[in-house]
Amino acid sequence: MTAPIDGQGNATAWSRGEVGTLLLILAETSFFAIFIVGYLFYIGKSLSGPYPADVLELPVVATICLLSSSVTVVVAVRALEADRRGAFLAGIFATVLLGGGFLAATALEWRKLIVDDGLMISTNLFGTTFYSLVGFHAAHVTVGLLLLALVGVLGVLGFVRKEHATRVDLLSWYWHFVDVVWIAVFTVVYVVGV
Amino acid sequence: MTEPHDDRGIELPSPTASPLYFALGLSLLLAGLVTHELVSMVGAAFFVLGAVGWWRQVLPQESEQWVPLQSEAERARPVSPRRAAVDHLTAGEDRHRMRLPVEVRPISAGLPGAAAGAVAMAVVACTYGLVVEGSLWLPINLLAGIVLPSVDQASPEQLRSFHGLAFGLACGAHVLLSVSVGLVYATTLPMLPSRPLLWGGIAAPLLWTGVAWSVMGLVNPALEQYVSWPWFVASQIAFGLAAGWAILRVAPVATSQSLSLAERAGIEAGR
Amino acid sequence: MASIPLADTEPRRRFRSDVLHDWVTTVDHKKLGILYIASGIVFFVIGGLEATAMRIQLAVPENDFVSPEVFNRLFTMHGTTMVFLVGMPIITGFGNYLIPLMIGARDMAFPRLNAWGFWMFLFGGLLLYFSYLGSTGLYGAGSAPDVGWFAYTPLAGKAFSRGNATDYWILGIVVSGFGSLSGAVNMIATALTMRCEGMSLGRMPLFVWMMVIVSFMILVALPPLTAAQVMLLFDRFLGAHFFDTQAGGDAVLWQHFFWFFGHPEVYILMIPGFAYASEIIPVFSRKVIFGYSVMVGATVAIGFVSLSVWAHHMFAVGMGRGLNIWFATATMIVGIPTGMKLFNWLATMYGGRIRFRVPMLFCTAFLAQFLVAGLTGIMLAAVPFDWQVTDSYFVVAHFHFVLIGGLVCTIFGAIYYWFPKMSGRMLDERLGRWHFWLFVIGFNVTFLTMHGQGLLGMPRRIYTYPADRGWEIWNLVTSLGVVLQIAGVLFFVYAVIKALRSGEPAGDDPWDAWTLEWSTSSPPPDYNFDEAPVVRSRRPLWDLKHPDDPDWKYE
Repeated sequence: MTAPIDGQGNATAWSRGEVGTLLLILAETSFFAIFIVGYLFYIGKSLSGPYPADVLELPVVATICLLSSSVTVVVAVRALEADRRGAFLAGIFATVLLGGGFLAATALEWRKLIVDDGLMISTNLFGTTFYSLVGFHAAHVTVGLLLLALVGVLGVLGFVRKEHATRVDLLSWYWHFVDVVWIAVFTVVYVVGV
Repeated sequence: MTEPHDDRGIELPSPTASPLYFALGLSLLLAGLVTHELVSMVGAAFFVLGAVGWWRQVLPQESEQWVPLQSEAERARPVSPRRAAVDHLTAGEDRHRMRLPVEVRPISAGLPGAAAGAVAMAVVACTYGLVVEGSLWLPINLLAGIVLPSVDQASPEQLRSFHGLAFGLACGAHVLLSVSVGLVYATTLPMLPSRPLLWGGIAAPLLWTGVAWSVMGLVNPALEQYVSWPWFVASQIAFGLAAGWAILRVAPVATSQSLSLAERAGIEAGR
Repeated sequence: MASIPLADTEPRRRFRSDVLHDWVTTVDHKKLGILYIASGIVFFVIGGLEATAMRIQLAVPENDFVSPEVFNRLFTMHGTTMVFLVGMPIITGFGNYLIPLMIGARDMAFPRLNAWGFWMFLFGGLLLYFSYLGSTGLYGAGSAPDVGWFAYTPLAGKAFSRGNATDYWILGIVVSGFGSLSGAVNMIATALTMRCEGMSLGRMPLFVWMMVIVSFMILVALPPLTAAQVMLLFDRFLGAHFFDTQAGGDAVLWQHFFWFFGHPEVYILMIPGFAYASEIIPVFSRKVIFGYSVMVGATVAIGFVSLSVWAHHMFAVGMGRGLNIWFATATMIVGIPTGMKLFNWLATMYGGRIRFRVPMLFCTAFLAQFLVAGLTGIMLAAVPFDWQVTDSYFVVAHFHFVLIGGLVCTIFGAIYYWFPKMSGRMLDERLGRWHFWLFVIGFNVTFLTMHGQGLLGMPRRIYTYPADRGWEIWNLVTSLGVVLQIAGVLFFVYAVIKALRSGEPAGDDPWDAWTLEWSTSSPPPDYNFDEAPVVRSRRPLWDLKHPDDPDWKYE
C-alpha cells in the first residue's frame, strides 16, 4: 500500500467522561436485564396471593413525574450551556421535585401494598420479584436525585458554572437511563404482568 | 492530556487515599451484614470520608501534581536504527509482508463458469448416452437417481426411455450442482498456484471422481451399476475446463485484504 | 490544583513508611498494575496450596488427610480464588500496566477510579478469606464457604447452607466484582480516548484490542452475576423466594444466571492470555503478527458467541432437546474463531527466526496445551458425550487445560516478557528454563492423566474413593505431578527474588520489540514518556529501527 497519511489517532468524537458514563449505563442495563428476566420468568408462578392483578394499580402520576423530569433536566443542561443561571436552577429543582414526586408515589404504593394488601418480599414470588425490581429502580432514582440535589445546592451557592455543563450533562444521561429503565419496569410489571 | 510539558516536569493526577477510604467504607458497610452493625457504621464513616475526599479531588478542578523529569542519565535512550539486515519473504516481491492473493475473480464469475461447465458436461454425457448406450435418456435418468429412489429398480429398457419427472429432477440437480461447483471454482481457482486451468480442469475433476467413486454406492446405486468411469472422468474434465475457461475470462478485481479492518468495517474514514 | 513545589535538592532518604504511603495513595496505572499482579500472585499461591491439600487427600484411596467438610471448603475456595482473585486481578493488572504504555498515554482515563477498583478487589478477597475466621459455619465454628464455586441452589439457599459462610462468598465476590467492573470501564475509556497521535484503532497493538473486547464482555457478563448474587442474598436475608423451590422458585434459574456469567467468564480469562501470546509470539519469531485484522475479528466473534453458550454447563439438567442442540451448536461454533487464532499464531511462527527464550517457551507450550483444551471442549460440547462424563474428572481436566495450560502458561510468559520493563531487571534465563520445564511437565503429568480417571467415571468433588475402582494409579500419578509443578513455581519465586536483588539490568528494550512500551525507560517514569509519541504504523519501534524499510509503507 502507499504511505499512510498521519491522521489524528485520538480523533474519537467521545470524551472519556462520555465513554465512561455510557459504559456504566451498559453495565447497569445488564444488571437490570437479569431482574427483568427474573420478573418475567416468575409471572403467574406465585403459589399464593396476593396476585398482581388484585393489588397493582397503574402508577400514572409517578410515571408522568419521572418521564417529564427527563425534559426538565435537559432544559437545565441547555440553560447551563448558554450560561443562563436562573433557567438552570429552575430546571434542576424542577427535576428534583418531579423525581421526589416519583419516589413519594412509589412510597405510597408500597405502603398500600404492605399495610393494606399484606404483600412483603417474603410473601410470595410476586412480592419477591416486585420489590427487588422496583426497589432497585427506586434506589437508582434516589442516587440520581441526591446527585441532582447536590448540583442544585452547589448551583445556588454559585459553584456551578458554564464550564461544568459537560459534567451535568453526563448526570442527565444517567437520569435518562433511569427513565428508560422505568419504561421497561412499567411495561413488565404493570402491563405484561397483570 | 499530554499538553503540560516543558523541560522540567509534567503534570499528573496527584496521589490520594480517598479511593482507598471509599473502597474500605463500602466493603465494611457490606461486611457488617455478616459480622456486626458496628462494622457497618465504621464502614459508613469511611464511605463518607472517601466520598468527600474524592469529590474534592476532582472538583472544582482535577488535582494534579507536578512531576519533575528524570535526569538525562535515567531517561530512555532514543531508539536507534538497527544495522542487522531484514530478511524478506521471497514470495516474489521486495516486501517484508505480503497479502495474497492481490487480485481475485469476483464470486459472480462462478455463474458464467457454471453455465459453461454445465453445457460442456451435458454434451459429453449425452454423447456417451447416444454413442455407447444408444439412448439420450439413459444418463439423464441415471442422474435423477440421486433423488429418485425408484430408478434403482428400473429395468434397462425403462432407463432408456423418456420420463418427465426424472428429466425435471435431473435438470434441477444438474443446475444446482453446476452452480455450487462453479461458485467454489470462482473463489478457489485464482488462488491456486501457477496454472489454474490445470488444477480446475484436470486435478480437481480427478479428485472429485475419486470421491464420487467411493460414495457412489450410497448416493446413487443405479448410477454405480451403469456408470462408465472413463466417460465419467471425461465429463468431469469437460466441466472443469469449460468452467475454468469461463471464469478466467472475467476481469479480476483487487481484494480488500490490503485495507485495514477498521476501514472495511467503516469505523474509520479511508486514507 | 495542589501543585507540589519542586524540591531541587538531593533526593532525601526515603523511609519505609514513605514508600508504603506512596503505594497506598497511588493513582498511577503502573503501580496499580503491579499491585494487581502481585496480589494476584499471592492469591495464586494460596489457591495452589488449597489444590495441593486436595491432591494429597486424593492421592490414595480412603485417605483421611482432611475431613469431608474441610475438603468441601477447599474446592470451593480454590475455585473461587483462582477465578476471582487470581485470574481477574492479573489480567486487569497487565491491562492497567500496559494499555497506557502501548497507546502512548500518560495514565488511564480515570486514575482514581482505577485505585478504587484495586482496593475493592483486594478488600473483596480479604472479606472472602476472613470467612475462615469470622463465619459461623455449620456448627457455629469459623469456616469458609463450602457450596462449590458456582454455589448451586437450593444447596446455597438458607435451608441447606446454614450459618453465613455462603454470605461471605456472595459479599466477597460482589465487592471484588466492582473492582473488575471499574477496571473494565477504565480500560475501554483509555483505549478509546487517550491514544497518542497517529495511533488509530487499526494500529492499536492486538493486546489493547483484546483487552478492550474483554472489558466489554466483563461489562455485559459480570453485572448478571452480581444481580443473581443479590437475589440469593435476598433469599438468605429477607426470606425472598427467587431460588426457593418450596415457594415456587426455580433452582435451575440460578444455574442459568450463574452460567450466563460463568461461561463468558472463561473467555474473559482466556482472551487476555491470547493477548499476551499475540504480543510475545511475533517478537520472538521476528515476524509481524499474521492476520492482524482477522485476529481482531475473531476475538470480537468469540466475544459475541460466548454470550450464547452458557447452558452447555447444564446439559445434564434436562433442558430439552431444542435447547441442548442450540447450545451444543453455539459451543462448537466458538471453536471456529478460536481455531483461526491458533492458525494465525502458527503462521506467525512459520518461517520466522524463532528465539526460544522463556516467554516464547511458555507461549509455545500454550499453543499445544490450548489445542488439547479446545479439542476436549469440542468433545464436551457433544451432548451425548457430555452426559457420559459430566461432573467427572474429565471436565476438571478439560478446564484446567484451559486455565493452566492456556492462561497460566501465557501469564508466566507475560511475566518473563514484561518483568524487565516493570522492574528494570531481567529474570534469570536458566532459572526460567527450570521453571518452564518442571511446571509444564508437572502440569501435563497431573492433568493429562486426570482425563483418565474422568473417563473411568470418577466424579469430581468427592473427598475420597474406595480402592477397588481402578482409579488408584491415576490419582497417584495426578498427585505426583503436583510436586513437579510446585518445584517449578519455587524456581519462579526464586528467580523473581534474585532478579529484584541482583538482576542483570534490562535496558529500555531487552527483547528488540516493536510496541511503544519498549521506547521508554525500564521501569518507566511516572509520566511514561518524556514526549508524547507519534506513530505511523502498528510497529512504531520497527519504523524507528528500520528507517529504510518502515512498516507504514505496507499498512
